[in-house]
Amino acid sequence: MSITQLRTAVELRAVTRVYDAGTAVTALDAVDLAIPPATFTAVMGPSGSGKSTLLRCAAGLDRATSGDVIIDGVAVGSLSERALTRLRRERVGFVFQAFNLIPALSAEQNVALPLRLAGKRPAPGQVAAMLAEVGLADRAGHRPSELSGGQQQRVALARALVSRPAVLFADEPTGALDTKASREVLRLLRLAVDRHSQTIVMVTHDPYAAAHADQVVFLADGRLAGRLAAPSHATEIAVRMAELEER
Amino acid sequence: MSLAWSMVRHRFAAFAGTCVAVALGVALIAGAVTLWASSRPQAPERYDAAPVLVHSPSVGKGSDGYTDYRSWTAGEADDLAARLAQVPGVTRAVPDPVFYAQQLETAQPAQAAQRGEDAQQLKTEETKGHSWSSATLGGYRLTAGRAPARTKEVVSHQPPGTRIEVLTARGPETWTVTGTTDGPGLYVTDSDARKRAGGVRVIGLTGRPDVDRVRAVLQERGPDGGQVGDHGDAAPGGAGAIADRAGLEDEEITRTRWLGAQLIIAMVVLGAFVAVFVIASTCALSAAQRQREIGLLRAVGATPGQVRRLMYAETAVVATLGGLLGVPVGALLAPLLAEPMVAAGLEPAGFEATVQPLVLAGSFGLGIVVALLGAAAAARRSSRVPALEALRDAAAERRAMTWPRGVAGALSGLAGAALTAALPALPLTTQTTAALGAAMLLLVAAALLAPVVIVPLVRVLTRPWRTTATGMLVREGTLTGVRRVASTAAPVLLTVGFTVLLTGSIATINESTGLDETAKLPVSHVAAPDGTPGISEAVAARQPGEAPLPSEVVLTLNGTTAAYEATGETDVTGAVLSDRIAHRPAAVEVTFADGETVRLRVTGTHDGPAELITLPRAQVREHDPDALTDHILLTGPAVPGPGLKVLTSHDYVQELIEEEDGIVRVFLLVLITLTAGWTALAVANTLLMATAARRDEFRALRLAGGGTVHALRVAGAEALLAVAAGTVLGGGVALVTLLGMRRAVEAEVGQSVDLQIPWTQATAVVLTCAVIAVAATSIPILRRRPT
Ligand SMILES: Nc1ncnc2c1ncn2[C@@H]1O[C@H](COP(=O)(O)OP(=O)(O)OP(=O)(O)O)[C@@H](O)[C@H]1O
Ligand SMILES: [Mg+2]
Repeated sequence: MSITQLRTAVELRAVTRVYDAGTAVTALDAVDLAIPPATFTAVMGPSGSGKSTLLRCAAGLDRATSGDVIIDGVAVGSLSERALTRLRRERVGFVFQAFNLIPALSAEQNVALPLRLAGKRPAPGQVAAMLAEVGLADRAGHRPSELSGGQQQRVALARALVSRPAVLFADEPTGALDTKASREVLRLLRLAVDRHSQTIVMVTHDPYAAAHADQVVFLADGRLAGRLAAPSHATEIAVRMAELEER
Repeated sequence: MSLAWSMVRHRFAAFAGTCVAVALGVALIAGAVTLWASSRPQAPERYDAAPVLVHSPSVGKGSDGYTDYRSWTAGEADDLAARLAQVPGVTRAVPDPVFYAQQLETAQPAQAAQRGEDAQQLKTEETKGHSWSSATLGGYRLTAGRAPARTKEVVSHQPPGTRIEVLTARGPETWTVTGTTDGPGLYVTDSDARKRAGGVRVIGLTGRPDVDRVRAVLQERGPDGGQVGDHGDAAPGGAGAIADRAGLEDEEITRTRWLGAQLIIAMVVLGAFVAVFVIASTCALSAAQRQREIGLLRAVGATPGQVRRLMYAETAVVATLGGLLGVPVGALLAPLLAEPMVAAGLEPAGFEATVQPLVLAGSFGLGIVVALLGAAAAARRSSRVPALEALRDAAAERRAMTWPRGVAGALSGLAGAALTAALPALPLTTQTTAALGAAMLLLVAAALLAPVVIVPLVRVLTRPWRTTATGMLVREGTLTGVRRVASTAAPVLLTVGFTVLLTGSIATINESTGLDETAKLPVSHVAAPDGTPGISEAVAARQPGEAPLPSEVVLTLNGTTAAYEATGETDVTGAVLSDRIAHRPAAVEVTFADGETVRLRVTGTHDGPAELITLPRAQVREHDPDALTDHILLTGPAVPGPGLKVLTSHDYVQELIEEEDGIVRVFLLVLITLTAGWTALAVANTLLMATAARRDEFRALRLAGGGTVHALRVAGAEALLAVAAGTVLGGGVALVTLLGMRRAVEAEVGQSVDLQIPWTQATAVVLTCAVIAVAATSIPILRRRPT
């Protein structure tokens, strides 16, 4: 193991998130989690268990009520809104379940957006290469409304990866896709880890999707409820999930 | 910024409202200001051949802001003219006495048209008499016959030998035409003109005068000379000044121009206000609809500053488009408006709009600034959208009432209320402006605080239908979409508010003016001028009753010299000053229209304004042969005479009011059409936007078993609710301001005045808004095929 691999890409230390909407809901309850670099982690759990909340806190989209989140060595809690935005822009990538792209912009422009927002001019061919990597070299000029759901997710993936972030967060990226499109997206995610040592954290409901990961983290009622390293098969995961849901 | 450009191009529908508002605003401002800029004062054409004009000394600025002058005495004028004639380059130095002389049978209009002159110029010039030597200042020549040689001989545009009936300040006279000229007006001998005119105030120099030498002459001649300055450097004390040519314009034309400028100013102020208002509410709505997109931008790394800049850039792009549309429209509109302005008596005849590149560029720039101002609140709000917003399933509405909005609303409401309360204490001249300002502040407050009012209003109004499906949907839809309803209500609020306020206040003021003026008249009948500027001495002398003689004098009181409006009355033996003047001396030196100064004892006081002075009538007549009586309070039956008509006191007052009323009506029509048209557009636009954005909601409604009719009913009912909210708020604001105005008017008149509420206009405006609102919501629903 090299030195860099000793550091964690993302670390959560006793992170608690309480939503205060009339009655207080504890969505995350003192969660500790460390994500090693260049690994693919799947987060699973029953509906309402706090998966999305975990992802948002870990990605710096939302602030924890208490506890620390460390992204690529930077403690997020003390950052100003500006600094946090810059951190997101430079070290974090996202893919959501839907609505990932600005409808007004072409695929190419959407991919270039994080670079442009950072005030950088994309290197010649950089955006095209990224689109080629997700198999959409010929769709560069199309608007989101002219692309299929699977293609849109692949553009979103290209956009999330173009700035070579320290971590890529994905919240049910295949949730709205059919089997074939899902497989393509999962293949691309796996490829990013293997080929470019990308760190990925993905929330999913789908044991088949989770089977692509290096480790699976289980969540129930806002607490960690187990971990499965190097899952070999989807059925193994499905069994664990069923156990959790029965509790 | 290419990102902004892409955004605008993609969702142009959402920006169309702003674009149209900017285009209209820019067109209006470009057109109106072009008219204003084209309407520059000009020296009368009669001075066209005189490159330098010397004006008599100024006595400082009067309370109306205009410079007052005193006349040269006859001797001074002749001396100065003789001295000026010796200045190198001067061909002739001609004193220019002007007096009232109106031909009773006006010349054939065809002849006037043939000479390419405009009607009003002709009309005012045709009531003017001049000295024959002054014809040279306009380069006019004798085309037939000879110059006048004695009294009652005249040069005019008629053939020699014609006998003409003329009305002068003395009375009706018969003159003989001895020569024909190509100049306007009537020309008599120099000595005759001098006797008839009130004094000489202008000496025209022909040739190529050396301006510096002219100035030197005026300086060297000391305190009683005239003034010099191509642009009227009014250095008091010189022998006179080289006149600001534009300042020599006929007073009547200047007044017409001033009226036009008032309308233009009102249009521009109102236009800019409505534009900011409409743009702000469209931007707010569009920003509210785009929260998810903005959240996504924030998530992928846009800082709040970048979001704000993006919003501004988008607005700038849209405003540029709007400006590019508006500028040519405005430029084309101005010449078309010139004629109606002349017809309405708001610009002098012969007025033409000329292209004003600076004005066009300025309005273009102003359009962008106004749009950015309108977008400011929405941009600030958008920049605070958290990144998390991108993850929301639906664009759920955030709190409609935020504290900055509440504070801004409350502050603007307080300022408006304070201004309304202070109205009676303000000077009369600023009251109308202050009332309009107060109304604007209150309207802004109402628009900002609208969400607070909308919630209870909706609850009350939908109560009867709360158990039906439509009732429930409307109720919940409006209660969760308060911001949307507020955005739609805003333009309705503005239209109803302005219509009720403008028409109501004018009606109330008219009501009070009638009361006021009639109450002042002690007699039943009044003799008034009939088609003439005043009543001549011969005709006035035959009437029973006092015939006050107005003139202008210059007076030094307590160390300050100023012009006073003098009235000559028969039973006065000395100077009668206002009791508002604190330290009244025992005697005053009065400089009359002919430049002569007379020392008069102060014999009494009157209770009028300080700038009025009453003097013995005979003395006024002696020193101002050109003075005309403007009305006679009849104490017995009138004796008929040319240029005289008899009216009952009531009719006389009514005529005075109507003279202003005509112009006021034009003002009202223009301003109301403007606001109403504009806001109708805004109502349509916000509703089109709001309905289009609710596509999914209506689709869900269809899936749940509702038909198109159902969707129409829900959307239509919501639109009507918005109109109702706007009406209540706008009407309320107008009522408050009207009450404030009535208090001011009552304080002024000293008796109670009925509040005039224009129910018809208000109802018409509300109905129009309702129709537009329902149409604008129905169209997007009907046009969309069920999916
Ligand atoms: N904005 C919010 N305000 C209040 N409560 C919230 C909010 N977001 C989530 N919650 C609550 O927090 C808890 C965890 O929600 P979260 O979205 O993290 O669950 P999840 O595991 O992602 O569920 P799912 O699998 O259905 O997406 C739930 O009880 C939810 O109701
Ligand atoms: Mg979730």
